[in-house]
Amino acid sequence: MHPPHRLEIRGLTKRFGPVAAVTDVGFAVEPGRVTGFLGPNGSGKTTTLRMLLGLVEPDAGTALVNGLRYRELPDPARTVGAALEANNFHPGQTGRDHLRIYAAMIGSPDSRVDEVLSLTGIWDAAHRKTGGYSTGMRQRLNLATAMLGEPPVLVLDEPTNGLDPEGIAWLRRFLKEAAAEGRTVLVASHVLSEAAQLVDDVLVMHRGRLLAAAPLTELAAGTTLEDAFLNLTGALA
Amino acid sequence: MNRLTSTHLIHAELRRLLATSLWKWGPLAAVFSGGALTILCVLVGPENFDPPMPGVDTAAGVRLVLSMIGLTVLAPALFGALAVTSEYRHRTIAYTFLFAPKRHRILGAKLAAYGIAGLVYGLIVALSAAAALYGGAAARGIEIGASPGAVAGILAGLAAAMTVYTVIGVGLGALIQNQTATLIALGAYLYMVEHTLAIIPGFNLVYPFLPGGATAALTESSLMSEAAVEVTGSATPLLPPLIGAAVLLAYALFASAAAVLAPMRRDVA
Ligand SMILES: Nc1ncnc2c1ncn2[C@@H]1O[C@H](COP(=O)(O)OP(=O)(O)OP(=O)(O)O)[C@@H](O)[C@H]1O
Ligand SMILES: [Mg+2]
Repeated sequence: MHPPHRLEIRGLTKRFGPVAAVTDVGFAVEPGRVTGFLGPNGSGKTTTLRMLLGLVEPDAGTALVNGLRYRELPDPARTVGAALEANNFHPGQTGRDHLRIYAAMIGSPDSRVDEVLSLTGIWDAAHRKTGGYSTGMRQRLNLATAMLGEPPVLVLDEPTNGLDPEGIAWLRRFLKEAAAEGRTVLVASHVLSEAAQLVDDVLVMHRGRLLAAAPLTELAAGTTLEDAFLNLTGALA
Repeated sequence: MNRLTSTHLIHAELRRLLATSLWKWGPLAAVFSGGALTILCVLVGPENFDPPMPGVDTAAGVRLVLSMIGLTVLAPALFGALAVTSEYRHRTIAYTFLFAPKRHRILGAKLAAYGIAGLVYGLIVALSAAAALYGGAAARGIEIGASPGAVAGILAGLAAAMTVYTVIGVGLGALIQNQTATLIALGAYLYMVEHTLAIIPGFNLVYPFLPGGATAALTESSLMSEAAVEVTGSATPLLPPLIGAAVLLAYALFASAAAVLAPMRRDVA
């Protein structure tokens, strides 16, 4: 398959006017493991991911995928599969239309579109306009888009938002399998109960800063992830 | 192996263009702007306008009738503007920049795709206008006062102008990003600002170099100039057709540069 890919983030900082969204954040994400990117609302998770993906320009610091900035990757969508907020669809296009556009962009055949439609379980809705999709269907189409390029790195922002229990269980299996295949999986979430069942490594954000980075077993030793998390974020509240 | 190539990016943009129903209105607008407008003018006859103008049995009358098409350039400009601004409006631009993070390349692909679409639009305008001109004249039993070569030259110029305005729309859309603001800016400029400038003494000297004036130069005729004569008593001479074409091309290049440079480092929310 692909050689392993490592993510490395150093000194990332971003302000939006008076808001210090992310301040001097640094961590590494290892291949073959699921890394949970946890933190309360507004703690800077999404902003950090957007900087990693070249959508937001950091004020300082770097975010590297295998030593390269996202923008410098020779084959970005075949390297990193990213699913951010699941509301980025043209309401007048069908799910299949949407996927066909991005498949064309990376030169993938239309058969790959069919594959990701089946993989994410939205085959039945593929011919419908995305404007009529439920939240869970949007989330699945979002994942399908991320999977188009069969990327060795997955970066997902709240991927379980809107998924039904069956969908959540499927996603958990899917991400664990991806990691077992040697892929690098970074998942932002604030649903700790889900994260506890999924992740190997934990990164905890709070008010734009990284509070902790450790394996789950270490961080939640003798307690639950939730208690450990509340302890960490509560202590500094 | 499957690196991002320009062919792939243009292919994707053409797919995007055909994936919504908007494009179906394009050919319809083109036939309306070219054919319907022309047949109306020919059948009514410029000699029956108020004030009366030369009829289509004169070269000046043919140019006048075809110059009306130049007033419909808002349609291709809006079409190009929608191409970029709907990506911002529906936030698909995030996916697009994820798949092609070298942003200038995707804008280049949009310019190419919409340049092609604009040219197709322009050709439909030209062909339907030719059919309307000759068909209408035949129906009224009038002899066209311009040689087929001259008519073809004017129509080719107009087709090129439609392409240019599509590209200008893409450029402006990339600069402004907000869909409503872009549409208002385009409409206000093309139908108010430019027309006003054409009749303000002093400013009317720059009119020949504005997009509208350069488009009028292609047909060597302009209702605006006629209006300027009425208001100011003196006409600003239009540029020669080839210089007009060069000025339009310059605007297209300027818009392309703007489109490619505009999204460079801007954050995508
Ligand atoms: N484009 C923007 N303009 C202004 N402020 C912003 C922008 N994007 C994010 N912020 C602010 O930056 C801070 C961090 O936001 P961010 O979305 O990164 O948090 P998050 O950890 O993803 O939160 P959530 O769990 O709610 O998704 C917040 O205070 C937010 O309001
Ligand atoms: Mg977030």
